Amino acid sequence: MAKVLIAETSYLVRKGLVSLLEQTEGVAELKAAGHPDTIVQTIKEYNPDILLLNSAIQLPISHNELTSILHSKARIIYIINTPLPEDSPSHQISVFDTKNKLTEKISYHLKQYETTEEKEEAEDLTPREKLILKHVALGFTNKEIATKLFISTHTVISHRKNITRKLDIKTVSGLTVYSLINGIIKMEDIQ
Amino acid sequence: MHINPTTKMSDLVQSDFELLAVLQRLKIPFGFKEKSIKTVCQEQNIDLNFFLNLARWYHERDFFPGETLMNHPVKWLVKYLRSTHSCYIDYHIPRIEEDIVRMESLDQSGGHNMQLMLKFFREYIAEFTTHIQLGEEKIFPYILNLEENLYKEKPDAEFLKTARGYTIKDFLEEHSDIEEKLLDLRNILLKYLAPPSDNCLFTNVLIEIFRLGNDLNDHTILEESVLIPQVIKLEEAFHNKFTLQ
Repeated sequence: MAKVLIAETSYLVRKGLVSLLEQTEGVAELKAAGHPDTIVQTIKEYNPDILLLNSAIQLPISHNELTSILHSKARIIYIINTPLPEDSPSHQISVFDTKNKLTEKISYHLKQYETTEEKEEAEDLTPREKLILKHVALGFTNKEIATKLFISTHTVISHRKNITRKLDIKTVSGLTVYSLINGIIKMEDIQ
Repeated sequence: MHINPTTKMSDLVQSDFELLAVLQRLKIPFGFKEKSIKTVCQEQNIDLNFFLNLARWYHERDFFPGETLMNHPVKWLVKYLRSTHSCYIDYHIPRIEEDIVRMESLDQSGGHNMQLMLKFFREYIAEFTTHIQLGEEKIFPYILNLEENLYKEKPDAEFLKTARGYTIKDFLEEHSDIEEKLLDLRNILLKYLAPPSDNCLFTNVLIEIFRLGNDLNDHTILEESVLIPQVIKLEEAFHNKFTLQ
């Protein structure tokens, strides 16, 4: 299941896509935004898996910045305001496309997502991640953890990203609370 | 429903009670009788379009009237944000805190989970209060001063000095993310805590936290997409008029 964000300034097109996607299988959550600033804000907060973006929108950030705020497995489907040739690629949809064509292209991406996603959902923290989490909860910095465990800071950061993604907890104090609740650290450890 | 000037204020609230928050923050008193939005705004000295823009945004949720809201005097928005702040500090936050305290006193699991949540939430309150204080004590007075001085023949010497050394962009750096911790609290309560003894209370705390989270989100949008861009424009106008000659 994928989280989808529709970024489209045209009211009619936006509403049309919302109603189409509401009946499409594989959509876990759906949001729509129309103003360039709110689009960027929403991408950051909502962290969509699939972004439907009108190619005519001038975002206040560059394309590179856009891809860097999207997560690594996220996909962008461009909405094009002109007709497209019959053999257009699946990551381009046109406002002139028929319902069947649109569903076909969008479903293709939703399916791609489903397979990779389902594997991840069953994932618990690995023993290694638990160890990193324990150190984070105890208040060590990335650098200190790297030194203690003989790994690079870069590795620590990538573990931390995975921990945050799996648990949906971002702040250090939140991670500490999680660790206490789950017995990864004890109350005495932090006093 | 479409909100227009002749819509009755009481109909507006009946169609979407969440708008009560907007009325409260604009300090519009109840007892509307059959009065229209236009009449109520006139009586309360509130600009009709400012009200309509805010109300439509909160109600329709479809477009964000950033550009339109920017055309109003900045002091209106500041006033609105200020009442929002006091709403959080005086009401919402203490209420959630009280509820967590109650959950802790009812917790018979023998564990410390509720105690932990309370400690976590109190840390959040401290962070939140600092954030609000920064706005109330430093940023809002600066913005109000900026707008006032811009329309003077000659700016106050004192303010001119401040304006030379400070821009709202500095504030962006100090502007910490006040939503992250609240999201964490919500996720921990929702996903990782063992079911508590009092479900009604627990559910209610979650609802309150969701509400506050959504509301803070709107608040951040107003601050970051309207207030700050608008202040940047005012600063430019101010420097063009007074300091760049």
